[in-house]
Amino acid sequence: MKALDHLEEWIITFLMGAATATIFVAVLHRYAAGIRIPGVQDWLLSLNFSWAQELCIFMFVWMCKFGAAYGVRTGIHVGVDVLVARLPDAWRKKAVYVALFGGIVFTGIIGTLGLRFVWENGMHYAVFTALGFGTGDLPQGPTTPDLEWPTWIVYSAVPLGSFLMCFRFLQVTWNFVRSGELPHHDPTHVEGLHDQTEQPFEPVPAKAGAK
Amino acid sequence: MSVPAVVVAAAGSAPMSEKRAATWLIGIVAILLAVSFTGNVGIVFALLIALMLTGIPVSIALGLTVLAFMFLLTRVPVEAVALKLFTGIERFEIMAIPFFILAGSFLTHGGVAKRMIAFATSIIGHFHGGLALAGIVACAMFALVCGSSVATVVAIGSIMLPAMVRQGYPMRFGAAVIVTAGSLGILMLPSIPKVIYAISTNTSIGALFVAGLIPGILLTVMLCSVTWYLAKKRGYPRMPKANWAQRWNTFRESLWGLMLVVIIIGGIYSGMFTATEAAAMSAVYAFWISVFVYKDLSLKEVPKVLLTAANLSAMLLYIITNAVLFSFLMSHENIPQAMADWILAKELGQVAFLACVNVVLLLAGNVMDPSSIILIFAPILHPAAMRLGIDSVHFGILIDANMEVGLCHPPVGLNLYVASGISKLSITDLTMAVLPWLATMVVFLVIVTYWPGLSTWLPKTLGMM
Repeated sequence: MKALDHLEEWIITFLMGAATATIFVAVLHRYAAGIRIPGVQDWLLSLNFSWAQELCIFMFVWMCKFGAAYGVRTGIHVGVDVLVARLPDAWRKKAVYVALFGGIVFTGIIGTLGLRFVWENGMHYAVFTALGFGTGDLPQGPTTPDLEWPTWIVYSAVPLGSFLMCFRFLQVTWNFVRSGELPHHDPTHVEGLHDQTEQPFEPVPAKAGAK
Repeated sequence: MSVPAVVVAAAGSAPMSEKRAATWLIGIVAILLAVSFTGNVGIVFALLIALMLTGIPVSIALGLTVLAFMFLLTRVPVEAVALKLFTGIERFEIMAIPFFILAGSFLTHGGVAKRMIAFATSIIGHFHGGLALAGIVACAMFALVCGSSVATVVAIGSIMLPAMVRQGYPMRFGAAVIVTAGSLGILMLPSIPKVIYAISTNTSIGALFVAGLIPGILLTVMLCSVTWYLAKKRGYPRMPKANWAQRWNTFRESLWGLMLVVIIIGGIYSGMFTATEAAAMSAVYAFWISVFVYKDLSLKEVPKVLLTAANLSAMLLYIITNAVLFSFLMSHENIPQAMADWILAKELGQVAFLACVNVVLLLAGNVMDPSSIILIFAPILHPAAMRLGIDSVHFGILIDANMEVGLCHPPVGLNLYVASGISKLSITDLTMAVLPWLATMVVFLVIVTYWPGLSTWLPKTLGMM
């Protein structure tokens, strides 16, 4: 379980950083290739970064699906709780169950829909080919425009992410049944804030100027 | 997920008695049933509202509504829904959102805010209520480079509030100033709600960014005037006047952060970058200055920053995915068109229409966060606004200004919660303290609503629209 938690965090951290780096490098390349440096320019021009946008989108789609699952664990998905918060305690509990149940059902359905879609769009073909079965008239499935990756691999983020999210909802429900507590995202807590309060900031201009 | 304990404490209201709760529930159910008898449109919205009231995350409420409606009432093939799930957020413009969030996290963690505060203090610190004024101006400067209100409140508030209290300001005063000034974060130049509006209505992101500048300056001046007046009346301390050398030094120190304006707006305006690329560049730049120039963030902390940014962006992208599904359902059912027809048939005219829009959005601001409001309401209201001849950019700024007000009052105003977290004041206290500035913001909202030129002049002059 711990391993899964870490893997999840690791994946979304990596995707966030990698997507930023990709776009940064692609933009740099676009302008660097315009500078006349003998040798280097030809080499830069020979590189093709037209796939960067597509890759960035895929990375963020993956980040979105897995991050949404991580978000269930951290309780970042906000809902409208104006009514629920004012209900009597026992009723509120029921409302929370309804909400959690809704989450489980939705992610479950989306996961299943996604899996079916992915299966029909090339996974079926790929699996059968890999296993050495005859593929008959199964479609090979489309590929993405720039990277030319099979779309089913890219789109498998939806079933994977949704099922993971469904699992997280089940986990949260289980915890709620046992302890009556929900994960709660606290936007007021900022990492690294204590560093700043330990060294009180004095906005006296003389000091700032001397620095 | 709901955060019951916090909200109960926040709204300052105890749970209702069972009898009262039952009356409320029966009333709500009756209203929703009545609404759902008005036809398909009614069913969609009754379903959505019913789901949302259970405290289900907004994203999932949107998705479930679509699924239920599609399965039960229409013959849209399931494949169409599945396809939308994959392709819904496959647009490069949407990717500006995670990049802006990342840039915002780096800016909050790095020392950019500290230097901007020092600069702002050196300019106007010697007026009545100098530190509070400096707080507002620092918020405005931070807002120039950051697209989120909450990040602005956190960045400026966590440094400014302790400093103000040490200088002898009451905590209530300082916190209230920061709550409202922090909302400039989504009005000045880059802003995440503006990106969301641009995506859902196909408006130019660059024009929207630039359009917020002059209204933002106006709001800054208005907030400063109120603060100055209150501070003078109550005799709050002033800072020693800084000389020009000090001003120059603090300006030079904060220049690294302010350079981001050039990257974002200059980049988009000159056509060097698209909005998304500009967002990515600003994220990389913010990373670079916080780690290598100001050295307030160590490389070891970077993964943590990435993770928090990813968590927040994933949540927003997830809402967007489902909102795309929802707007697919709406356009499939021709709801935006029907709404526009209905509104036009009322022959309201621009003035009354805009007044209604404001009231609806302010009410929505009582229950939902800005992103969800824009994703749900913008596609519905935008077609009608266009047909009434309202400028798309002006309409966007109006919605943005509305969201600002919603951020500053309970029960869901996030700025308020963040500031109460920093200041340890109760929400009730803070709500009372915020009132003078909140009233100023409402006046500002009216000005923005009925003076389109305020928002559209700059982008028009720059030839961006």
